[in-house]
Amino acid sequence: MIVSPHDENELSEAVRAAANDGHAFDIAGRGTKSGLGRPVEASHRLDLSALSGILKYEPDELVITVRAATPIAEIETVLRDKNQCLGFEPADWSALYGGAAKIAKIGGVLSADACGSARLRYGAARDHLLGFRAVNGSGEVYKAGGRVVKNVTGFDLPKLVCGAMGTLGPLTEVTLRLVPRARECAALAVKNVGAEAGLALLRRIWSSPLEPSGLAYLPRMAAQSFAELGDVGDGVVLIRIDGAPAPLADKIGLLQTSLDGGDALLLPATNEAFARIASGGAFADRNDTVWRVFVPPAQAACCARELASPFWLADWAGGVLWVAGCCAEDVHAAAERAQGHAVLMRADPETRSTVSVFAPQSPAREALNRRVKDAFDPLWLFNPGRMFEGV
Amino acid sequence: MKFPVTDTAILARRTEIVAALSRLVPDGVVSEPAGLAAYDGDALSAYRQAPLVCVLPKTKEDVSAVLRFAERENIPIVPRGAGTSLSGGALPRADGILIGLGRMNRILDIDYENRCVVVEPGVTNLAVTRAVEKRGFYYAPDPSSQIACTVGGNVAENAGGIHCLKYGLTTHNLMGVEIVLPSGEPVRLGGKAFGAGGLDLLGVVAGSEGLLGVVVEATLRILPKPPVTRTLIAAFRAVPDAGTCVANVIAAGIVPAAMEFMDRRCIEAVEAYCAPGYPADADALLLVELDGLQSEVSEAVMRVGDIARDAGAHAIVEARGEAERAKLWAGRKAAFPATGRLAPDMLCMDGTIPRRALPAVLSRIAEMSEEFGLGFCNVFHAGDGNLHPLIIFDVMKGNELERAEAFGAAILKLCVEVGGVLSGEHGIGVEKRDLMPTMFAEADLAQQGRLKCAFDAKGLLNPGKVFPTLSACIEQGHMHVKGGRLPYPNLPRL
Repeated sequence: MIVSPHDENELSEAVRAAANDGHAFDIAGRGTKSGLGRPVEASHRLDLSALSGILKYEPDELVITVRAATPIAEIETVLRDKNQCLGFEPADWSALYGGAAKIAKIGGVLSADACGSARLRYGAARDHLLGFRAVNGSGEVYKAGGRVVKNVTGFDLPKLVCGAMGTLGPLTEVTLRLVPRARECAALAVKNVGAEAGLALLRRIWSSPLEPSGLAYLPRMAAQSFAELGDVGDGVVLIRIDGAPAPLADKIGLLQTSLDGGDALLLPATNEAFARIASGGAFADRNDTVWRVFVPPAQAACCARELASPFWLADWAGGVLWVAGCCAEDVHAAAERAQGHAVLMRADPETRSTVSVFAPQSPAREALNRRVKDAFDPLWLFNPGRMFEGV
Repeated sequence: MKFPVTDTAILARRTEIVAALSRLVPDGVVSEPAGLAAYDGDALSAYRQAPLVCVLPKTKEDVSAVLRFAERENIPIVPRGAGTSLSGGALPRADGILIGLGRMNRILDIDYENRCVVVEPGVTNLAVTRAVEKRGFYYAPDPSSQIACTVGGNVAENAGGIHCLKYGLTTHNLMGVEIVLPSGEPVRLGGKAFGAGGLDLLGVVAGSEGLLGVVVEATLRILPKPPVTRTLIAAFRAVPDAGTCVANVIAAGIVPAAMEFMDRRCIEAVEAYCAPGYPADADALLLVELDGLQSEVSEAVMRVGDIARDAGAHAIVEARGEAERAKLWAGRKAAFPATGRLAPDMLCMDGTIPRRALPAVLSRIAEMSEEFGLGFCNVFHAGDGNLHPLIIFDVMKGNELERAEAFGAAILKLCVEVGGVLSGEHGIGVEKRDLMPTMFAEADLAQQGRLKCAFDAKGLLNPGKVFPTLSACIEQGHMHVKGGRLPYPNLPRL
C-alpha cells in the first residue's frame, strides 16, 4: 500500500497511524536508489514526492532551504542562475540502478550520502547539511541544526541523518550550505600510466596546493567505457581543477611542471568523464555486482591488487574504489585490512538480503547503532533492515 | 546558572571511591583539596566547583576502567582536556569524578601519504601543526587558545577559530575517533578512510560537549600549506558599512581564509595595548586574509579591495611582508585582554547570525547598549557571522551585573530571532544551557535527549551541561572576567 502525504502534518498523521497498528514503511522519493541497501520488508510504501519545492534561497548568504523531495535538478537550475552549486556534487546513480536519470530528490541524495568527485575538495553531503526538519518514529515533527555555517548548539544531528538511508525517519525540510560555482574548470588526462604509478600521482597532486576538485584513475579496462578518452594505454589519470581564468591557467602550468619534470603529456578530458565515474555509469552495461570500497588513499593500489577484479576504477585520489564482481567476504576483509570499509552498491535482492551490504560492525558498535535507531524510531517503522539487520 | 543538586550519598562514599580509583590508576588520582583546587573549573571563570576526585588516566584501558567503575557505582563523570572551555563544558561536580585526559598526549602516527595524523586526546591543537609543518602541512582548526587547548576538547566542542571560514570547523577536519562509552566499551568511528562506514556517529560525537563518550584517540586531516598568504585591513567610518562589505564579499563568491571585525572601542583599546598601527579615524575595521596560489590570491585581493571601497572603506592597507602581517594580527589577537582593561568586568558572548543580518544586528546591539546603560565592544569572526560582543561593566556598581546579564541574553535572543544560533564555537556548556529553549522546541530537545540516552543510558556523562534542567531559573550566557584578570591570561582569545 502506498501512503502519499501532502505535507508534514499528513506525514506525521501517517506515522502515528503506522505506530498504532505497527506497520513499517519503505521510504521512497522516486525510488531511484531502491537497489541500494538490504531489501526492506514493509507492507507500506511512503511516497514523499509531494513534499517538494524551494522554500527560501538566499544567494548572498550561500544558503538554501528546500522541502526534502525537491528534485536535485530543480535546485541545481536555480543555483546555476546565481553561479552557485552544491559543493558535494550530488551523484546521480540512475545508470547503476536502471532508472530514469535526473529525477533524484535531495532527501534521497542526502540519505545515501551520494557525492561526486568534488567531495575530495568540498566534503561530503554531511558537510553541507546545516539543518533539517523531520518526523520521528512517534510521529513527532522536530528540527535540528540551524541556517548558519558555524553552529555548536546541541548535537549535530544533520551529520547523523546523512547516509542513514532513511532508517532514522523521513526528512521533510533541509537547509544546505552552498559554494560559489567555479568560474572555469579544466579536466585533464595523463595517459598510459599503470595503477601503482597512477594512484601515486593522484596522491601527489592531492597533497599539492592546487586544490583539485577531481582526481580519478581508470585502468585500461574501465577506460573502455569512456570512449571519448580514446586509447589510454595502461590506464589514465584524470585531473579536474578550477578557478578564475588567469589562476586556472597558472594551476595548469604548475601541474604540467610537476608531472615527471614536465615530460608527461597533459591532454584535455571532459567533465562528463567525472560525472560518469561518480554515477557508476561505467558499470551500467555490466550485470555483475558493484562495490564501493573506501580506503586510505595510500592503500588503494594494494587493495585493488588484492581484490583482483578485472574491472575497477578509483576516485577521490584513491579514497574510493569502484569494483565489479568480488564476493562480500573478500571485499569486506580487504577493506578492513586497508583500514577502510565497503558498501555493496549493486546486486540482486537475494544477494543483498544475505550478505553484509554495509561494513560489518563490531559488537559494541552494532549495539550502539541499534540504540541510536531506537532513539529515533523505537518501533522500527522506517526502512527496517535497510542498512543492517535490525537498523 | 543553577548548580545541580549534589548527591550526598556519593559524597559520603568519597574515601571508598578514591581508594577504588587509586587501584585502577595507581599514580593518577588527585584527592587532596590543594590538588583539586587546580581542577575547580575552566575558562568560564564565574563558576568554580572542586570535583569529588580527579583521575588522570594514561591509557585507553585506564579510561575504560574508570568509566566502567563509575557506571557500576552510578557516579557522574566530567571529562576535561586543558580546561580552556569558555562555556563551562569542563566545570566539575561536587559529586562527580573529573577525568583529565592531559597525560594521554602522544602523537601516535603521522601519515603524510594519507594526509592525516593520529593523536591521543591530550595533544595540544598547535602541536599537531608543529609536528607536520616541516613537510609543508598544517592542521586547519585554530581556536585562539590553540597553544593550550587539546584535541579531545576540540572534538567535544567542535572548535573553530579564525580560519574556519575557508577550512571548516573541527568536524570537517576530523576523520575518525575512538571513544569510550560510559559503559567502558571502546568504539571506533571512522578512521583514515573517507566516510563513517555505517551510521555517521562520528558526526554527532564532534561537538557533543563530552555528553556521548570520552575521546581517547582522534584521526585528523592535515592540509598542504598554501604557498601565498596576504592580509589587508579595510577601515570604515560607519559600522554598518563594514557589515555590508562582509556580506558583499561572501555574496561575490570569494572565500577568504579569515575575515575579522573590530569596532572603534576595540580598535582604541588595542592601540593603547600594543599599537598595531591600524588606520586612524575608523569606526570599524575588517581584517581580511586571503591564501592560495599567487595569481589566485592577487585576483582575490583586488576584488576584496574593490568591494570594500564600494562599501565605503576610507582606507585599505595591505601588510608588506611577514613582520607587518604579524603586527596586524597581533592587534586582533590582543582584542580580548586589551578590552579587559577598559572596565573591571566583562562578559564575552558567542552567537552566529546570517551574514547579511550583520548591519542590522550591529545597529541593534548599539541601541541595546543605550537601553541597558552599559558599554560594549564588538570583535568577531565576521566572515561566518560569528559574533563575540564584549559587554563592559562593574560588578561593584549597583545592579550592573544583572543589567549586563540581561544585555547578553538579549543579544543571544536577537541572534536566534534573525535566524542565527546560540553558539558558533564556544559550545553551550552550562553558560547558555538555559537559553536552549529560545532556539529549540520541546520536541527538538527531547529528540536530542533520546540520542544522549542511546550513548549514556544512566545520564552519567557530563550531566548538567547543554540541556536545560526543569529547575532552571536564571538566564545568562557569558564568560565573566573579574578585574581584568582573565582565566589563562597568556592565551589569545576569541
